[in-house]
Amino acid sequence: MVQVEDLTKLYGEFTAVSELTFSLQPGEVLGLVGPNGAGKTTTLRCLAGIIPPTRGTVQVGGHDVVRNAIAAKKQLAFFTDEPRLFDYLTVWQHLNFIARIYQVTDYERIGRELLTELEIADKRDALPGELSRGMKQKLAIACGLLHSPRVIYFDEPLTGLDPLGIRRMKDSILKRARDGAAIIISSHLLHLVEEICSRILILKNGRKIADGTLDEITRKFSEQPGDASLEEIFFRATSETGAGASPPPSPH
Amino acid sequence: MVSALLYLQYLTFRNRLVSRFKRLKQPKYLIGAIVGGLYFYWYFFRYLFQGYANGRQPGANVTFFSEHLLLFELFGALVLFVIVVLAWIIPHERAALTFSEAEVAFLFPAPVTRRTLIHFKLLRSQLRILFSVLLLTLFSSRFGGNAWIHALGWWLILSTLNLHFLGSSFARTLLLDHGISNRLRRLLVLGLAVAMVAGVWIWAKRTMPGLNSASITNPGSALDYLQRVLTAGPALYLLFPFRLVVRPFLAPDAMAFLGALIPALLLFLLHYLWVIYSDVAFEETSVEASQKLAARIAAVRAGNWQGAKKNQKAKRPWFKLAASGPPATAFLWKNLIGVGQIFSPRLWVALIAIAVVVCVSLGHGGLNQNLSMVVGIVMAIALSYSLLLGPQILRLDFRHDLPLADVLKTFPLRGWQIALGEILAPVAVLAVCQWLLLAIEAGLLLCLPGLQKTLLLAIAFGSVLMLPVLDVLLLLIPNAAVLLFPSWIQTGKDSPRGVEATGQRLIFVSGQLLVLVLALLPAAGVFAVIFFLLNFTVGPAAAIMPASLAGAVVLAVEAGFGVMLLGKLFERFNVSEEPGG
Repeated sequence: MVQVEDLTKLYGEFTAVSELTFSLQPGEVLGLVGPNGAGKTTTLRCLAGIIPPTRGTVQVGGHDVVRNAIAAKKQLAFFTDEPRLFDYLTVWQHLNFIARIYQVTDYERIGRELLTELEIADKRDALPGELSRGMKQKLAIACGLLHSPRVIYFDEPLTGLDPLGIRRMKDSILKRARDGAAIIISSHLLHLVEEICSRILILKNGRKIADGTLDEITRKFSEQPGDASLEEIFFRATSETGAGASPPPSPH
Repeated sequence: MVSALLYLQYLTFRNRLVSRFKRLKQPKYLIGAIVGGLYFYWYFFRYLFQGYANGRQPGANVTFFSEHLLLFELFGALVLFVIVVLAWIIPHERAALTFSEAEVAFLFPAPVTRRTLIHFKLLRSQLRILFSVLLLTLFSSRFGGNAWIHALGWWLILSTLNLHFLGSSFARTLLLDHGISNRLRRLLVLGLAVAMVAGVWIWAKRTMPGLNSASITNPGSALDYLQRVLTAGPALYLLFPFRLVVRPFLAPDAMAFLGALIPALLLFLLHYLWVIYSDVAFEETSVEASQKLAARIAAVRAGNWQGAKKNQKAKRPWFKLAASGPPATAFLWKNLIGVGQIFSPRLWVALIAIAVVVCVSLGHGGLNQNLSMVVGIVMAIALSYSLLLGPQILRLDFRHDLPLADVLKTFPLRGWQIALGEILAPVAVLAVCQWLLLAIEAGLLLCLPGLQKTLLLAIAFGSVLMLPVLDVLLLLIPNAAVLLFPSWIQTGKDSPRGVEATGQRLIFVSGQLLVLVLALLPAAGVFAVIFFLLNFTVGPAAAIMPASLAGAVVLAVEAGFGVMLLGKLFERFNVSEEPGG
């Protein structure tokens, strides 16, 4: 569903992403983790066709996001960490607008279902300025899911959500994956990644340093299988000295 | 404690200044600063320097001022009276000292007394006041008088007003706390103001000879009458405190200034004591105000003037948007909703009604033909300004949506589709406004005798054709500029301000005009050729229509290419200003 080959993104002399290659099948949930400045957001932006890669290719559903951008973009949705909304459109007007952009003829039914599922049906006529941070996030999600995307990218999806919202978001992500969507989640919340991702890709300084299931990565960075959590694996994988380095002291 | 707050203010000011100087290393700011500096010199400072260079004190109009000193004083006092009355009528919020969010976070929990916070607020407002004083002095010195007297005079006026606004906000809060609602307060203040004005009017009517129609038309007599009314009877007492505030500014020399200064300072001191000894809780409202202010600043800096409005309301769409059809229409639909914050359907109905009434009454009511001509000229000027200023004012296009460029880029649309959609709403609004003005203009001129009606109709027809296409071109230029030079246009959160920003805008507007002239040349050429060819055979009226059509086609072709180019620019637009993820 998502095929990334040799993806490289340069900003002048600075290499944000370097020779990244991976693929994602329908139903898979890939956790994209890495320290600040690792290139996670740049990677997601390249995968969504927001910025062109300097080298390499990205295919979504068999369509190149640069050469065949329209067909590729029709199949994907990208949720940024900060909900990006039009401040003078109400909740329902957002859905109406997006429906026209993606030509979703049945948007009224789907929109109603989404608003109910995301528990913002009563905010249908509210402007973004009248919504809480979490509700704005839900509206952005409703807009993104309106055209039933087959590929979904989340950049820090739990930011600003309350505990119930977090649980519902996790359920929603897993439900979309069960329905066959390929999902990439970029997050610093390692417990979230551990809980819902079927695969993990660790980035550091724009380079892939690990890619596989949690077990595979654990085997790679642990002395003994199953002796470490993802958090410890993450510190070992991303520390300057490589595997074996000590994680920061635990508060407990 | 005040010294710490002063230190904070000093550092804020110094660091801001240093950062502005540092960014002059970038050519775009340096060039902007040079152009902006020249502009300010040309507009303000040269009057100061030129006056001395010519061997005379600045201000050749001193005699004029001294002759009409009383009148100026009365006029200033009247203006202050109106401002003060409005300050007691319009505001409805509880007292709130606007602090930044950082100041609220650090100062409110700190062991700082309320009075110290008020002092801090007053001291900080002095920065703004002093800057205003500088600009106002530079401006008023162009008309004569001593610059330092003007500066001190302006300072007294603005500082006293500032204290009065603060004091009235405290008083407003106290009234609310005592159960006197905003509505009741407004009624009382308005009633009092009306009673005062009525008192002056009745007194003038009883004690002074009235103005006849001849003296009304004579400005000298009218002003003399006004002066006599305002310097005697109840108006003398009513305007007295306001005249005290204005008097130092108008003082013709140092002695007169010193004489006027003492009562003005006493009034200033009374205001200060009023503010300082008002025991009103403002913290809660200030926290709320600081958050709103931060949101408004963020909205304005993001180029979103609509979002900066205090009370944005949900607006109904102008038409029903079907789920299928050209995607560009979705942008038109969206942006028209945004435009609806100002241009509501109710406003359109009112504008059309006014246009009809004006046309009917002036055209067929047998009114003065000169008046019709004047209104016609005003309409023509408004039409010209709509072309110049319209595209700058109506910014619901890329200039507004650029902060959401990453969202737009995820849409499965070609660049030209987004570009076309983005400019459609301002084009539609501008075109309708212009057609309305054109209709009034044509309606008025058609009713005037001696003008060729067919020629007028032909010109109107040609304008109807050409104006919307011209609007497209005019809007393409700033939209292309914002994609080419995003940091020069006010869209980002770190949009520049100051002299360099003024210079940047001047350069940008000049560039816009140049591009517009170049874009108009081919259409003007085609229009001219066809018009002169047909003029000899069918006459000017019949020649204008096909010539306008041909000109509009040329403009439309240019606009089409422009939209494609704008789309390409958007596709290439790099939304990643910051490298790394």
